[in-house]
Amino acid sequence: MSLEQKKTPEGQHKRRSASQWAVAWRRFKRNKAGVAGLIIVIFIVFLGIFGSFFAPYPARPDPGAYEPFYRGDVRVPPCEKYPFGTSAIGTDILSDIIHGTKYSLYVGVVVTAITMLIAIVVGSIAGFYGGWVDNVLMRITEIFLVFPSLLFILVFVRIFTITVGEPFWTVPLIGIKIPAGLTIVTLILAIFNWASNARMIRGEFLRIRELEFVEAEKALGASNTRIIFRHILPNILPSIIVVSSLTIAYAILVEAAVSFLGFGDPNTATWGQILQENYSDMRTVWWAEVFPGLAILITVFGFNLLGDGLSDALNPRLRD
Amino acid sequence: MLKYVVRRLLYMIPVALGISIISFITMYAAGDPINIIRLGRPTVDQATIDALKEYYGLDKPLHIQYLTWLTNVLQLNFGKSLYGGIPVNLIIGNWIWETAKLQIISILIAFIISIPIGVHSARKQYSAQDVVVTSVSLFGVSMPTFWLGLILIIIFSYTLGWLPSEGARGGIKIWWGNPVLDEIAHLILPTTVLVYVMLAQNIRLIRANMLEVLRSDYIFAARASGISERKIIYKYALRNAISPTITFLGISLGGMIAGAPMTEYVFNWPGLGRRYVDATMRLDFPIVMGITMIITVMTLIANLIVDIIYVYIDPRIRLR
Repeated sequence: MSLEQKKTPEGQHKRRSASQWAVAWRRFKRNKAGVAGLIIVIFIVFLGIFGSFFAPYPARPDPGAYEPFYRGDVRVPPCEKYPFGTSAIGTDILSDIIHGTKYSLYVGVVVTAITMLIAIVVGSIAGFYGGWVDNVLMRITEIFLVFPSLLFILVFVRIFTITVGEPFWTVPLIGIKIPAGLTIVTLILAIFNWASNARMIRGEFLRIRELEFVEAEKALGASNTRIIFRHILPNILPSIIVVSSLTIAYAILVEAAVSFLGFGDPNTATWGQILQENYSDMRTVWWAEVFPGLAILITVFGFNLLGDGLSDALNPRLRD
Repeated sequence: MLKYVVRRLLYMIPVALGISIISFITMYAAGDPINIIRLGRPTVDQATIDALKEYYGLDKPLHIQYLTWLTNVLQLNFGKSLYGGIPVNLIIGNWIWETAKLQIISILIAFIISIPIGVHSARKQYSAQDVVVTSVSLFGVSMPTFWLGLILIIIFSYTLGWLPSEGARGGIKIWWGNPVLDEIAHLILPTTVLVYVMLAQNIRLIRANMLEVLRSDYIFAARASGISERKIIYKYALRNAISPTITFLGISLGGMIAGAPMTEYVFNWPGLGRRYVDATMRLDFPIVMGITMIITVMTLIANLIVDIIYVYIDPRIRLR
């Protein structure tokens, strides 16, 4: 009961901020490109979660995936039976693409979650406290910014995937199997991706820290944690949402590149992996290069459209 | 000015050292290079291994190895490749020219085309032309570079047979028997890929900044005083809108030395990017370390040059 009463002033605050989000939603709805992006993203997420129920053949480690191979249907061009053809190793490309969706989303979401977590922690501390803390953190950030990231990701992925023993790890408690090699690739992508986002968040912190309402809060005797978590971070949230959408798109692209170069996890058929497997037979099985690439293009395009739309809707400077 | 440059150069030292130490430790953690050389050759005797270790200085502890490497690098000696013992300097020297040729041509074309397109698109916001430009450039940033290369190869080399699909010269048939035309023919496809990707990023940047600048009061004032539209756009507005593009160009200049590994890989271009991927595959540490350090130093210097250029473009910026 007492908890309920305590929450009343906050409840009012929440309702007000909800209307702020409602304004953003109304602006977003008017933006056709953003809505198109949202529809693409919803479709991709749907495919990622429920894809295995209507894919013609099961996912890769299952021997059923190689059924076309046993039937002798290797390198069959697109036809009625195989809408996107079959690959050089005798799998149905449509099924491969559908199963690959969840891997791409996994990479995109996990990379973004870790990236944003590191970026928010580093950016907040550097931007809020300033001084030598800021100096040290920004030097470290600079190192990660200057790092030739794609090249270095390759070195790390190569080193760590050599040492992986089991192809799948089982998450304790939930019991979901996650691909080990792909997870390592994902973690490495995240480690090399946070620096520019941390800089952006630090910049926002520097800007908002000087605003009057923060000063007022300080005069009222609020603690630093309260100011950071209740006042500054909610103000940066729109930027964080926009950057997250763009980071998902970027992560999917980089993972495809890493897999295509042959540094990916050989046990999971991500889209980049499918492209890599058929690369040497490209002259004959062009369909195995075209369709997985289109899947990457559409997915990344969707997240980019969504990010641009969100940025227009949430950016108060351009509000008319 | 001189004081600023010297201070910035001093700032670079810890960043470059930090990157070199992290790289070196990673390489060391990857395992003993001699074991990798021995893979598939089980009959090598202990004496040969010891001799090899001594030859590459791998018998000494890590910090001694690092210091030896560092003193050598400071004398511009990057060591010897683990495969065949060819000096890294020689390898890099041979390949850097091909990379530079490809990159300089692409950056120049992309930069020159992107400015008028971005400006025009911003002036006619939401017009049909603008929608075409923005969607084509969003496609460009959503596309895996290597995939665009694959598609171009499938269309123009395999199907139509117009252009060579790999290498920088020579190949199956030399174009019209003329070596210069032959080199140009080999350049067309990789340049197209690089130009499209850079163009897309550049146009988005210029358009976004131009939109913001065109809303500002001083442009309104300039219009009110009857200055010609052409002068307003290209003399007053563009000057302020172009600085993020310069930053982007600076980053590209640094990365230029590395080449675009994906594009070079797909077109089998004999450049540094391709070489780096190969060296990483074989864990050829001296080459990987050498190329990493060159990219790092070039990126840092490019950033410094960009900051100095800013002063000339934007008189509000003062170097401190």
